[in-house]
Amino acid sequence: MTDEFSLAGKNALVIGASNSLGRAAAVALAEAGANVGVTTSTRLQREEVAANSCANEVWALNRKGFAQAIDAADEADVRAAIERAVLEFGKLDVLVNAQDLPFAKPLTEITPAEWRRVLDVNLTGVYLACRAAGERMLSQEYGRVINIASVLGERGMANVGAYCAAQAGVLNMTRALALEWARRGVTVNAIGAGWTAGMGIIGGDEGRQALERYLPYKRLAKPEEIAGAVVYLASDAAAYLTGQVIWIEGGALSHV
Amino acid sequence: MPILDKLRLDGRVAIMTGAGRGLGRAMALALAEAGTDLVATARTQSQIEETAVLVRERGRRCLPVVCDVTDSGSVNAMVEAALAEYGRIDILVNNAGGITPGFANSLTDISDQTWRTGIDTNLTGAMYCSRAVIPHMVKQASGKIINVTSGFGLRAGRDNFMYTTAKAGLINFTRSLSLTYGPAIQANLIAPGLFPHDDPAMSEWWKGGKYTPMGRLGRDEELGPLCVFLASDLTSYMNGQIIVLDGGGLAGGHAPTGFAPVVPLAEEEGRGK
Repeated sequence: MTDEFSLAGKNALVIGASNSLGRAAAVALAEAGANVGVTTSTRLQREEVAANSCANEVWALNRKGFAQAIDAADEADVRAAIERAVLEFGKLDVLVNAQDLPFAKPLTEITPAEWRRVLDVNLTGVYLACRAAGERMLSQEYGRVINIASVLGERGMANVGAYCAAQAGVLNMTRALALEWARRGVTVNAIGAGWTAGMGIIGGDEGRQALERYLPYKRLAKPEEIAGAVVYLASDAAAYLTGQVIWIEGGALSHV
Repeated sequence: MPILDKLRLDGRVAIMTGAGRGLGRAMALALAEAGTDLVATARTQSQIEETAVLVRERGRRCLPVVCDVTDSGSVNAMVEAALAEYGRIDILVNNAGGITPGFANSLTDISDQTWRTGIDTNLTGAMYCSRAVIPHMVKQASGKIINVTSGFGLRAGRDNFMYTTAKAGLINFTRSLSLTYGPAIQANLIAPGLFPHDDPAMSEWWKGGKYTPMGRLGRDEELGPLCVFLASDLTSYMNGQIIVLDGGGLAGGHAPTGFAPVVPLAEEEGRGK
């Protein structure tokens, strides 16, 4: 039974493996047998360091891999990352969009430039990667696209308007794209991640403690607890599953 | 532990209701392949005996128990039999259900009894089974409840009252289970799309999946891995949620319209590029 979940011989690219969710996704894919290339979300140096360290974990599992610093909102950068995956692995089977640019500010103080940047990385970046990878996947009639979004795509939060808009956009683009590619061998799904350790919009110890009091699990998710669903969706076990959001949020959305 | 090993369920015990055929049998066999011993229940003895043979062929134990989930006495006796045989229950899959007499009646033609039978079969049965199993899971401080709802639990249908109401009720029942007994116990849902269970008449009724985005209907064995995934330690932070497996049906709709025509952006005079 577990054979159906194996990713041996598959090749994956994780955009935004510089954050904790992307990193856990990349490591889980490699553990399940895939070769995995990883990128940053932005060209910040600390992200490049994180992506390199993620690639080291992939190599330590005896898989092929690489790390590339990109701006996930830059069309040429995104295309180059996908071309590199095809060049190094010969094929691209799995795309994970985990690019993430956290941002929170009262809406009246958000400048149009900030708004655009948040939407560009978190939403337009997913479109750019889907478009570039989709060309490959449609021509080979096989592919798995997994977009990692947030509970903030389903629930609002004060001061998080731009980020919430982007996350909700990712969820509904996932549904539309799934329908577009449903008969062409490419599934498109999203994972709705709960509040996860190491991710941006949590806000220091005080914010974390307030969240932990509110969450049914009384703790944040560990990134590895989200990554199992990435493996399931990437595998042949999920061939009939498309256009869906799998929420892994410790009950946060079940609350009134 | 490598991630694929976390899908193994060796040493665990699962109860599958509606295990005599279709999705229930397919999920029971998938759980057996992942390592669980089983209690296979349904109303028809011969069918669960067949399932039990198939489970044993996979090297696992299976206790077939005749049980009507709409009868709480029958459910309680089944759970007692399970505990007497195995001493523990780790996984409960509430899969029993389906269309009941008067399924497509107009509202004014639904009798009190017709209504109750539909709700009992598709909602109350899952409550009876969960109520009987929960104390043992609480004692073990672990457990997985997997409830099988339907696309009709999320969307409605014309002249479809009992089934849609019960399946929608099952979703919120599951959420309350998850908030009450989590995080030690996880309760989640599977919503299958159109699965004809190898029945040509059902395939024909659904036009072979022509209006399903993926262009085909579901195969029973495709539910198996999803059931194993939800029963496994990989979903420990997932609680009160639904996974829809329907070839894209609910992402848009089982609709004959297909693709929108291409609509180019309008030329706006005086607007810069």
